[in-house]
Amino acid sequence: MVIVRRKELSLSERLYLPEIVRGLSITFRKLFEKPITRQYPEEPLPKNEVTRGQPRLVVKDDGNIACVSCGMCEVACPAYAITIDGGETDRPIEREPKKFEIDMLRCILCGFCEEACPKDAIFMSDELELADYSRASLIYDLQKLKRPKSALQKRIDYVYRLNNRWRKSSSTS
Amino acid sequence: MSPELQEILVWIVKVHVIFLGMVGTAAITTLAERKVSAWMQYRHGPNRVGPQGLLQPLADGVKFLFKESLVPEGANKWMFRLAPALAAAPAMLTVAVIPFGPDVTLFGITTPFSIVDLDIGVMYILAIGGLSVYGVIVGGWASNSKYSLLGGLRASAQMVSYELSMILALLSIVAISGSLDLREVVLQQKTIGDWNILYQPLAFLLFLIAAFAETNRHPFDFAECEPELVSGFHTEYSAMRFALFALGEYCAMVVMSSLAVAFWFGGFSVPFLPDAHWALGIAAFCAKVTFFLFLFLWVRWTLPRFRFDQLMNLGWKVMLPLALANLFVTGAVIAYAPQLKALWQNLFHGAS
Repeated sequence: MVIVRRKELSLSERLYLPEIVRGLSITFRKLFEKPITRQYPEEPLPKNEVTRGQPRLVVKDDGNIACVSCGMCEVACPAYAITIDGGETDRPIEREPKKFEIDMLRCILCGFCEEACPKDAIFMSDELELADYSRASLIYDLQKLKRPKSALQKRIDYVYRLNNRWRKSSSTS
Repeated sequence: MSPELQEILVWIVKVHVIFLGMVGTAAITTLAERKVSAWMQYRHGPNRVGPQGLLQPLADGVKFLFKESLVPEGANKWMFRLAPALAAAPAMLTVAVIPFGPDVTLFGITTPFSIVDLDIGVMYILAIGGLSVYGVIVGGWASNSKYSLLGGLRASAQMVSYELSMILALLSIVAISGSLDLREVVLQQKTIGDWNILYQPLAFLLFLIAAFAETNRHPFDFAECEPELVSGFHTEYSAMRFALFALGEYCAMVVMSSLAVAFWFGGFSVPFLPDAHWALGIAAFCAKVTFFLFLFLWVRWTLPRFRFDQLMNLGWKVMLPLALANLFVTGAVIAYAPQLKALWQNLFHGAS
């Protein structure tokens, strides 16, 4: 059993008033300190290549989409958010997606699609905001998912760095 | 223009200026409350409506107007609807006798800047102010909700208890100034050396504490007491009826601040400028009232709430005896002033 003995209050403490004045002086000083609240839409969160935001599709420098609609990400996706319908092209890389949809309401931003992709075609961007007036408009199609490679370059470099480190350590052991 | 018509016109203008001024002040105080609390907690506070959030009270008002006004099932409908008016009206009525400024001369008409100069102004304020407890208890009882009922009962017990000390504290000022007319009390404090705070600091302290209790403000806001009673007597109120309760509370704060200023801090007298222009006088009054309004907010965001038994102990065992003793000593000093003076002279000057 623990007996907690209360501190004997001094006379000035029992009179309340000096302590109240002390408390008031503290709050008055705090009045002039800088607010620490972040004004979110105006002051966005700091983002870097580690930020795992919504997945986006890479458009190569020659203007063609990197995706070959192999379906690996579709299989890897634990939330069944990805739907792909493939088609043929006249390019040396014969396939490209005719339909590529990610249901952003299902996506859990896990990054498995990024890991599964054999063609460096899908990467997690730093785009995080997700708000709209209908569910249908939150199912993103090809047009909404395409990003030029330069916009995703930081993330691509980061993923390569990560994978190389893993390869080195596994090859030495 | 006949003198009677002119008098009525002046009166109408004065009523509008003072009443709208007070309601406007109350509205601004709601914003100030949120801003001050935010700054004290390293936050920004409302800053979306208008520059720096200055139009927030307006947005709140519009929101209150458009919301649905619910009447809970089993509530006493008439009492329920009456209560907000009962809560807001006393504070708005007491503003009538508060002297906001000296004689104002505008367009060749000279008139004292208060709605009426009642020669029993203090009596009037105490009588009308005493009615404000009905709004709280009727609102609490008519809601048919246990939280509201408890809040209303607590608030009424508290307001009745602290009214005594408040009246006694005011009486000691009435005793030394010999008048129940607020303007007269103010006019006796022309210079800073005449301010009653120098002669009656204890009465001021008692009045201030009682004012916090009377307006149901922290640290005595047992009428609301969010952690225990949801929000006390106005738990079941919504929309404009809720807004009326809030308006009543803030108007009561303005009235209490004005009383403190008028009775202890020289009212509209400007420090070091005994013959200042009337506009300066009104500005001085407003500045002093602003300080007290800030004090209300400042205390609210500093102190925790008392426990109910502590509140009652403080009211009945500390404040009431102190107020009585203060009044007694004041009365004795006034009654035996010549004898005391003679005694003083015999003791110190007579001997030499």
